[in-house]
Amino acid sequence: MTGSKILSFLKKYMMLIALVAVVIFFNIATSGRALYAQNITNLIAQNAYVFVLATGMLLCILTGGNIDLAVGSVVCFAGGVGAIMMDKSIPWPVAVIVMLVMGLLIGMWQGFWIAFVKVPPFIATLAGMLAFRGLANVVMGGFAYSVTDTTYLNIFGGGADCYIPDLFAGIGPALTASDGTVMNKFCLVTGIVAAIAIVIYTFLHRAYLRKNGYKLESLVGTVIKTVIICAAIIWLFYKLSSYKGIPTALIWIGFILGLFAYITTKTTLGRNLYAVGGNEKATRLSGINTKMVMFKAYTLMGLLAGFAGVLNIARFVGAQPTYGMGYEMDAIAACFIGGASAYGGTGSIGGVIIGALMMGVINQGMDIMGTSSNYKLVVKGLVLLLAVFFDVIMKMRKKGGAKA
Amino acid sequence: MNNFSIKNVLKKNTMIIVMFVVYIFFVIMTNGVIFTESQFTALISQNAYVFVLGAGMLMCMLTGGNIDLSVGSFVCLVGAIAGVVSVIHMVNTPLTLLILVGIGVLYGVILGYLIAFLNIPPWIATLAGYLAFRGAGTEILTSVSTTSAISNFPADFLAIFSGRVFESPAGILNIPCLIFGVLCIALVAVMNFTSRAGKVKKGYEAEPMGYVIGKTILEAAIIGLLTYKLAMDGGIPTVLVWVVAIMVFYSFICEKTVIGRHFMTVGGNAETARLSGINNKIVMFVAYLNMSILTVIASLMVTARFKAANSFAGQNFEMDAISACIVGGVSAYGGAGTVFGMAIGATLIGIINLGMSLMGLDQNWQKVVKGGVLLAAVVFDIWTKKNSGKK
Repeated sequence: MTGSKILSFLKKYMMLIALVAVVIFFNIATSGRALYAQNITNLIAQNAYVFVLATGMLLCILTGGNIDLAVGSVVCFAGGVGAIMMDKSIPWPVAVIVMLVMGLLIGMWQGFWIAFVKVPPFIATLAGMLAFRGLANVVMGGFAYSVTDTTYLNIFGGGADCYIPDLFAGIGPALTASDGTVMNKFCLVTGIVAAIAIVIYTFLHRAYLRKNGYKLESLVGTVIKTVIICAAIIWLFYKLSSYKGIPTALIWIGFILGLFAYITTKTTLGRNLYAVGGNEKATRLSGINTKMVMFKAYTLMGLLAGFAGVLNIARFVGAQPTYGMGYEMDAIAACFIGGASAYGGTGSIGGVIIGALMMGVINQGMDIMGTSSNYKLVVKGLVLLLAVFFDVIMKMRKKGGAKA
Repeated sequence: MNNFSIKNVLKKNTMIIVMFVVYIFFVIMTNGVIFTESQFTALISQNAYVFVLGAGMLMCMLTGGNIDLSVGSFVCLVGAIAGVVSVIHMVNTPLTLLILVGIGVLYGVILGYLIAFLNIPPWIATLAGYLAFRGAGTEILTSVSTTSAISNFPADFLAIFSGRVFESPAGILNIPCLIFGVLCIALVAVMNFTSRAGKVKKGYEAEPMGYVIGKTILEAAIIGLLTYKLAMDGGIPTVLVWVVAIMVFYSFICEKTVIGRHFMTVGGNAETARLSGINNKIVMFVAYLNMSILTVIASLMVTARFKAANSFAGQNFEMDAISACIVGGVSAYGGAGTVFGMAIGATLIGIINLGMSLMGLDQNWQKVVKGGVLLAAVVFDIWTKKNSGKK
């Protein structure tokens, strides 16, 4: 009994534990440098695209382990067009809208073939991967374009000043971090407010569940969980505030993750995604238009890929024909590390966060250690395999247990 | 209900007709450059790896639309190891080949085990290899060479996979090549007629005599043309021997042996296959083991062609192999497909690539066209199946 409890606990939090272990490992291996405030800020800014793309990829994977291989090329194509437009001094809001619309249209194009013509997703998006990479290069003519509009860069997380300024700078005494830098009080306050909001939400939600007679988690469990989450958030914002404050990329990541956490858990579309992935036939017979669900999943993926293009050219302060290569793999790996099932029907935004962080930590930890980028690929491949391997073993055990 | 009416024959051979149309299109567009001797050799040596990897991918796809994403990266890693073993440690060629095939078997066994026995979805298991092998291959090459490439392979190593058989100077008719071509034509003719005679004898529905004669003449003309062109350009490229041998071998396996039929059955309906006593797991295992070994051969071909192991070797090879299968009519859902179809697909893609390069179309448009062809091939396949289903 206790054995199975430990096992189910391990199963649920395995990747989280692994993430913490990896962070501790890199912290020791880099003698503490991995957790410098600046490195944590970079971790977020550099991996914004993983969060955004993995969110979209999750939607596709939920529908039955389907993937989109074209996202890397779409990021490059949309970003390239946007950068060229801004280079021709078209105002940035227009460029952003064009990039998003491009992503949306590409998503609809792929969704059409996949959902209505029944082209296997893998092949439809493989064709897209080739074609859009080619088109991106045709549009850019092999040149790199730089983005100079500072407003754009500041808003979408690129350049030196892409941080929320300290709105409380003049209020109260100046705080200094241990290394003497002045802390960003606004950032610190935001972190504390966010933590309080989570505490309030958790207990209101619990009260709601009790009122309606749902099964509750044990109070101790809830408290421990909330304390850990709040501690992590406050720690993160503390670190951010001792560098330059909240990177704007974090706001976008938070917005996208929050929006899609809502969509996947609280809306009909979200539930339909899970239903289609769980049992497509049963879903269709119960009156859900499964084709439309697939179409929407790929359309949203396209839109998010367009948005990743927006963030990408801001982060790199420009566009190049090679940008976005291998992004699809990062996104897919993040989903699986985060516990999404390769057969569809299981997976969550929470998992995506853990998976994307894991990829980010490995990327950055190895950068700081100075290992060559080649080893990064090897490690990423092994981590992906381990994650799936673990998932499969756990499922086998569960099956074996149920039979006995 | 004549199966050999002109309409049905055309329908059955759509991809072959498309191939000819595309070829003639490029002959016109390149003012005949694509029809010159050296371009025939180029077409073969540039695309040899597609045929080899396509044969392996075909076996994987037959088992249910499963694929192997790691082949391109594995080509790079095997090339790098070949360089280290053969050039840096100066191991003799037979032993080098043995080591490389051993590595292929090792990877194949691991991959096959993960996919067949642990039920890890093939594309995830191979995605891990896609990442890891590219990294490992590049790391090996950069650690031993400043240019991240190893060249100076021994001549006997290169000769196995590149150069020409009984080479003669270009422009002078190569006699061994001609003799071989004539033998091929004779063989094809004999096979066509004996196959018809066998069918008539056993009372199967046989092709009309005129059809067999027409088909034989057409095939003889193609082989004859190819032979002549190759003979004028120094002889048969060594890789062509490999490609033909592999194509014939896998055609035989797929169509005439029990294990070959098992691949189709598992892909057609895995549950039925299992219930009728086929060990699905072994079939899957063999498919991936086979893929890894063929990847080693493809890697050697590529290394020999460039006379060097490069860190960028094998990029997008998995896409080429998959495209060849899909364009060649292999079902993306498994259970249907032939080696011959895949070879037509590979040739068609090869012609398109070569033609576009000769026309001076830039790399980027080539990518767009490649993607378009792939999508069009699948959609065409789905639509024709839908229509035949309605009847």
